[in-house]
Amino acid sequence: MSSNALCFGHNHPASGAPCFVQVDAAGLTIIFEFTGGGGDREVVPFAALSVSAGGLDHDHLVVKWTGVQGEQTLYLKDQDAIRAFRQTAPDDLSLHFAQAAELVRQVRQRRRLVWGLALGMFLSTVLGLWFGSDLLVQIAVSRIPVEWEQKLGESAYRDFLAQQEVIKEGPAVAALGEMTQRLTEQIPNNPYKFEVTVVKSDVINAFALPGGHVVVFTGLMKKADSGEEVAGVMSHELNHVLRRHGLERIVKSLGLLTVVTIVLGDQQGLVGMMKQLSVELLTLKFGREQETEADVTGLQLLQRAKIDPSGMIKFFERLSEKDEGRMEWLSTHPMSTARAERLKAELAALPKKSPEPFTFDWKQVQASLGAQPVVAP
Amino acid sequence: MKSEILYPGAFPMVRVELTAGEHIKAESGAMVACSPTIDIESKMEGGFLGALSRKFLTGEKFFFQTLRASRGPGEALLAPTVPGEIVILELDGVNEYMVQKDGFLAGADGIVIESKMQSLSRGLLSGEGFFILKMSGKGTLVLNSFGAIHKIELKPDQEYIVDNSHLVAWSSTTSYNIEKATSGWIASVTSGEGFVCRFRGPGLVYIQSRNPGSFGAWIRQFIPVSE
Ligand SMILES: [Zn+2]
Repeated sequence: MSSNALCFGHNHPASGAPCFVQVDAAGLTIIFEFTGGGGDREVVPFAALSVSAGGLDHDHLVVKWTGVQGEQTLYLKDQDAIRAFRQTAPDDLSLHFAQAAELVRQVRQRRRLVWGLALGMFLSTVLGLWFGSDLLVQIAVSRIPVEWEQKLGESAYRDFLAQQEVIKEGPAVAALGEMTQRLTEQIPNNPYKFEVTVVKSDVINAFALPGGHVVVFTGLMKKADSGEEVAGVMSHELNHVLRRHGLERIVKSLGLLTVVTIVLGDQQGLVGMMKQLSVELLTLKFGREQETEADVTGLQLLQRAKIDPSGMIKFFERLSEKDEGRMEWLSTHPMSTARAERLKAELAALPKKSPEPFTFDWKQVQASLGAQPVVAP
Repeated sequence: MKSEILYPGAFPMVRVELTAGEHIKAESGAMVACSPTIDIESKMEGGFLGALSRKFLTGEKFFFQTLRASRGPGEALLAPTVPGEIVILELDGVNEYMVQKDGFLAGADGIVIESKMQSLSRGLLSGEGFFILKMSGKGTLVLNSFGAIHKIELKPDQEYIVDNSHLVAWSSTTSYNIEKATSGWIASVTSGEGFVCRFRGPGLVYIQSRNPGSFGAWIRQFIPVSE
């Protein structure tokens, strides 16, 4: 028999005495387990009780009576016990509880209504000025300073890194550094400081966090056939950051309340919320439009940086083929031949530029990772 | 889970003893030292995707670590980030506590932790963010505070007013309203406008003797501003 209620009174501790409450036709039987000598029990007839709803969410049944020990208050949350009480207790008592519960519902409803109205009025004003909630999301996102974004990304990054083996130097790091350098040189007014981390893992994936941290797994580097292929993925990820896709996603998933909070400038509540979200960022999935946007702007960036964009397309094509090990990338990046096709079309529309090769030898970079270079299928 | 507070006062640690196979939840980063029999399981174990799927499948919250005595019995030393007291509560299955999100240090396996969204008005007004933790179930619960922990015992219908930022934990048998502080009540430099909680018993309210926000503001005045 385990406790299902807490009893308060001057003879009990302030945190309440755990007890077991039984409901029968005569009234309540309260059995205290932890008092010595096999448990005290007290039987209280229904006639002696007064009933209300209480507790933090007003979901406790509060029963009061005056016993031999003075005034006693019982807090009952166990659903079965409450149901038994409502079925067995005389109507006038249950009625009282039902009324109390109803009152709480009304107060809550009224409060919700007031908030709903306030929000509704505000939103309709905003929506009257601009159309479409996507625009609203963008406005909210544009109000978030880059420093916030960096802090947010930074905490997620640290949480992630605590469990990972990082490659700090060597040909792979140098090669990614060169790619990042070539790409970021072509971003005008770049407010972000991009930092690329190579993590030792067979996972074929890479991801970007708001604020500029990009993580590339060695699995992806082993899978790629050339530096240009990895640069394609990098360019894609950098554009997720530049387009603030992570923030957009958060704002969208948190709903309009957050949007309102940001637009109203209540930063206090929001900072708290953001902190909680930091790691949810790591599990972020971007939407299809965001992927397409990152693909297209990524391709353009490659072009500007004079890195052969066909590497990106080739890599995407290869990942969409049936092949084990492609799962990781697919889970965050639904791949389809349509996606590669779209990029080909996009590339055809761009002016031709003669690419400049990287200074590193890709096979050597791969060899430094301790892997057999993967032979193209 | 047996636990003992070491060095009670401003810089305490807690020692928890685990029997073979037992596991507990701890705030991530709380671990100071442990026996080699203890494994720390964290979200990111199993790579990015493992974490991803666990997150979606189990809905576990990210800010906990699981310490598991997988290779036999052992002990772990845990400490909070900020200077302040540690308090150990025993949950017996009926009493439940709401805990402000920085207040949780560790909990036995039998403790059920839910992240609860506060109501819109409470969340917006209190400045504590929208999430609080609800602790229920059976077993040991370890909380930490900024400064000393003070326990307020409330009799049925007894009221007490507490500055929001000093809250650590409170029983779910209490109820509270958030009120705007009358002038002169509050010292919160950061929020400008102060809010207080009017608690109503019965139950316990644990408060901390220092206010993290005010302390931050106090520190900030000594940091030279660049530019
Ligand atoms: Zn992507």
